[in-house]
Formats: sequence, C-alpha cells, structure tokens
Amino acid sequence: MKEIPVPAAMLEAEIEQSKSGRFQRDSLVGFGLLTPAIVVVILFSLAPLAYLILVSFTSESTFFFNNPVYTGGNYRTIVDRFMPHVWTTIRLATLASIFNLVFGFPFAYILARKIRYRELVRTLMVFPLFGPLYLAFGLFYVLLPNGPGAPFLDFLGIDAAQLLFSEQMTVFGMALFTFPFMVMNVVASLANVDPTLEEAARTLGAASWQTFVRVVFPLSWPGILAGFLMCYGWNLGVYVVPILLGGTPQQRVLSLTLQQKAMSQFDYGLASAMGVVLMALAFTVTWVSLRFSRGALGA
Amino acid sequence: MSQSIASRLARGSARQSEGGGRSPLAKVPTILQHVYIWIWLLIFVMPFLATLAYSFEAPNGGYSLEAYDFVKGAFLDNLRYSLELTLMAIVGNLLISIPAAYAIVRHNVPGKRFILSTLNVSLYAPAAVMGLSLLITYAYLLDFLPLTHSTWGLLAAYVVGTFPLMLLPIIVALRDLPMVYEEAARTLGANRLQSLFRIELPLLGPGIGAGILMTFVIVFNEFLVTLFIAGPSNQTAALRVYGLTRTAGFSQSTAAAAATMQLVSFVVVLVFFKLVGSRYLKGTYFA
Repeated sequence: MKEIPVPAAMLEAEIEQSKSGRFQRDSLVGFGLLTPAIVVVILFSLAPLAYLILVSFTSESTFFFNNPVYTGGNYRTIVDRFMPHVWTTIRLATLASIFNLVFGFPFAYILARKIRYRELVRTLMVFPLFGPLYLAFGLFYVLLPNGPGAPFLDFLGIDAAQLLFSEQMTVFGMALFTFPFMVMNVVASLANVDPTLEEAARTLGAASWQTFVRVVFPLSWPGILAGFLMCYGWNLGVYVVPILLGGTPQQRVLSLTLQQKAMSQFDYGLASAMGVVLMALAFTVTWVSLRFSRGALGA
Repeated sequence: MSQSIASRLARGSARQSEGGGRSPLAKVPTILQHVYIWIWLLIFVMPFLATLAYSFEAPNGGYSLEAYDFVKGAFLDNLRYSLELTLMAIVGNLLISIPAAYAIVRHNVPGKRFILSTLNVSLYAPAAVMGLSLLITYAYLLDFLPLTHSTWGLLAAYVVGTFPLMLLPIIVALRDLPMVYEEAARTLGANRLQSLFRIELPLLGPGIGAGILMTFVIVFNEFLVTLFIAGPSNQTAALRVYGLTRTAGFSQSTAAAAATMQLVSFVVVLVFFKLVGSRYLKGTYFA
C-alpha cells in the first residue's frame, strides 16, 4: 500500500493546535469519540476472552456453582488425550493454506497482469465468501455417487466414493473458502510492483524464471505471506467442513471438539482450555501476519 | 496523480504487447491462462449451482418448486429475523465506527496504534472461541443484562465481531478526504454537525457502503457464534440451515434454504457493486 500523502493543511492545523495548547482538549475529544467502540470491545471481546482463560482452570462445570474447583487438570487432559486434535487442526490448516498458495498465486498473477474481465472474476469470487457451510453442502452434493459431478469424475477416473469423507476433500473445502483471501492479498501486493520493472529485467537479459525469483517474488512476498497467514488463521477455526466433507479422523479438530464438550457434555472447563489453545494458535498466526503486512490494512 | 497515470499507461502498453515473454508466466500460452481462471470461476460457483439445481429437482425427473414451500413457510420467519438482525448490526456498527474512525484520523489520540489493534481482537479470534467465551460471559459475568438466548446477545456478538470491518474502510476513506472541504464549510459558517452531515458523510459514502456490505455478508451468513449463544426461540436463517444439515440431512428443503441464502447475499453484493463500485473495497476482504 502506498502511503497516503498528508495534506499540508492538516499538518499546519496540527502544529497550530499543539502550539496553542489545544492538543489536550483534542485528544480528550478523540477519546470521547472512541468510547463506544472501547466499551463494546471490553464488554464483549476482551472480558469474555479473559473469562475463558479463567474458566479453563476450573474443573468441568463447577465454575457455575458456588464453590468452583480450580485445577490445571484441563490442560493436562489436552496434553494426554487431545494432542491428536491439536495436530489435526494444524495439519488441515497447513495443507489448505499450502493448497491456496500453490493454486492461488498463479490465479492472482494472471488476474493482476493478464486479463481484462477482472470485474467478472471479482463478482464470482464472492460466492466462497458467503461461508464454508454452503460450500461444503454444495460440494457434498456434487460428489454424491449420482450427483452432477459423477460423470465428470468418472471421466477423470476418480472414484467419487473415496473422495467423500476424505482428508483431500476436507482440505479442498477449506481451501476453497479461503482462496479469495489468498488471491486478494497477492493481487494487492502485485499492484504495488510496477510491471515496467519486470520489463526492465527482461530487457536486460534475465530469463523469465530469473525475473520471477529476482524481481517479482522479492517485491511481492509480504503480500504472499500475509495472504498465506490470513488463510492459515481462518483455517485454524475450521468447524463445518469436516462435518460435511470429512471422515472421523478429520472431525477431530479443536473447534468441533470444544463445541461438543461444551454443548453436549457440559464440560466447560475442558472446552475453555481447548478454546484457549485454539486462541493462542490463531493469535500467534495473526501476530506474525500483522508484523509482515504492516500498513496493508491501512492501520 | 500524474504518477498513477504514467503507471497506468505503462501497464496498458505492457498489456498491448502481451506474449512478448516479459513475465514468468508469459511462456504459458495465453489460452491456458484463461482456461486456468475459468476453471476456478467454475469451481467458485459450482457448489451454489449444484445446490440450486438439486433444490429444483422433482422425483419424476422433471423440475418443481415444491422444496421452496419450506422456504416460503417455516423458513420465512428465520429469514425475516436474520434480515432484521443484520440491519440492526449495521446500524450498531455505524454508530460505533464513524465516531471511532473520526477520532483515529482527525484527533491526536495517544496510543492510536495500540487502540486500533485492540479493537480488532475479536476479528482474529476463531468463531468457536468467540461463541464459547460469549456463552460463558452472558450466563455468568453479565447475567444482570438480558443477553442469554436473546436478540440483544446476538446483536452484541455480531457488532463486536464485525465493526472493525466497518471501521477500516471508513478510516481509509476519511484519510483520502482532504480537510479543506470541512474547513471551507466551517469558514462559510457551518457548525460541526452541519459540516459532518452535509459535507463529510456524503463524501464518505463509498467507504461507509463498503463497511455495510461486509457487515451484511458476514452477519447474514454467520452460524457458528450463533450456534453457541442463540436459544431455541431466536434461530437465525443461517443457523437454521446448519441445523437442517445436521437433522434433516441432505434434503431438498435444506438445499432450497441454502440456495435462497446465497441468492439473497449475491443480489445484495451485485446491487452494491452497481451502486458504489468496488474502489473502497480495496485492502478489505472483497478486492
């Protein structure tokens, strides 16, 4: 993203204000305007997350009774019995994000440099954004033995019965949902790479792969990484795709397990501990991605 | 400005002499590149088209609208409730985001960066984590407020989860907007509120529109946070679709409901692109 030039008038106004001692009043008004946002975030985001951490140290649902039992046992349970769930979550997210990287980068490159019907692509790319629920449902139908995809899959020699409820299909479903995030990030970063630089490299005798390795990739990799990590963050929270497209091994993901623990077994302590683990994973990814994409969100 | 025109010209000339072997993908024939794009476009719409086709299928091999009886009947209430909630969330987001964006761009607030990233926290928390933590909070910490299994509880969850998506485009639009318009209005005698409503809000229109679009698409189709905190009496349409995939299994009425949800969302997106264009969606999830 290019820095937006600050109009001179704005700078002058700022200098004037600080000179005449209105700086303090100005920042007070600013805080006043921010108050609704801050209150909502504290009440419905920060406090609940802090609360989740507290509940994760209580046994089962004792927190909701008069004398809660505090224990670190939930985390021990996760280490003893639920590490496969953590690994499945990470594995699925990694595979789906790599899929997005491999197939999304060429898509974004062609989109940014080669074609003119970008509006059409942008419009149709909206469908995956409506959510993984409808995607997974539609894919499920396509893959049914007598579904619309059957003749096509037969033609390719793929056994549809093996695809349904498999890891490949789960990863594909997850990747399809996050594909637009990857593409948009790469397109945004390619827009900052002047095509004349590529031309210059070619004119000076670089082969096309050299142009890519030496010019395009170094200039656009913050966007590529940001896209990859954004996909990764979304994919860590996967919930509905394994239910509809995955088998039992794929359904061992954290979101799904914590929902079952909380809503059907009322083991809020363990569910909260899983939530804290998942949150830690997601925030780590976000933190890394914000470090690399600084300014990409205009923040 | 002149720089951007120059680069646009350069890009245009690059496009004209396409296939000259400048770029790494130039060796791949142009046709194959188009085919690659079109395969993906097909994949994007395929789940929707398949769902739509299935919902129209009749037992005798023909086509019928029978499955849509469910959408017109029991599902209509959920749909109406979802649209109401989405509208309320949009209003809530606007009320919170416009002052906040104004403070961040036009006022000297110390610790701006820290505040902005704190405001975005719920955007990065996985939906299941948000749902569980809100469930606990509503039932215990905030039990003096009518939040459990209520419209207010859902609304608060949606607002806190989506208002950053409203905030960012408005911040971008407000940064693009020079102070001179505001200053001119003030010099000509308008007071603060008049200049806000007559000058700035109209000029911020596209930025605000982008936020409205994103809030709509996300809130209207949100089911996971809802699954944790909604009661039996306030089922949103998206949650109903999810519930149907679990209970009714793979039925035609589920397909009809899912197709309807996607159609409504898509029509809203199309209307937005037609009215506002996609300029202010840059740097967001849509462009």
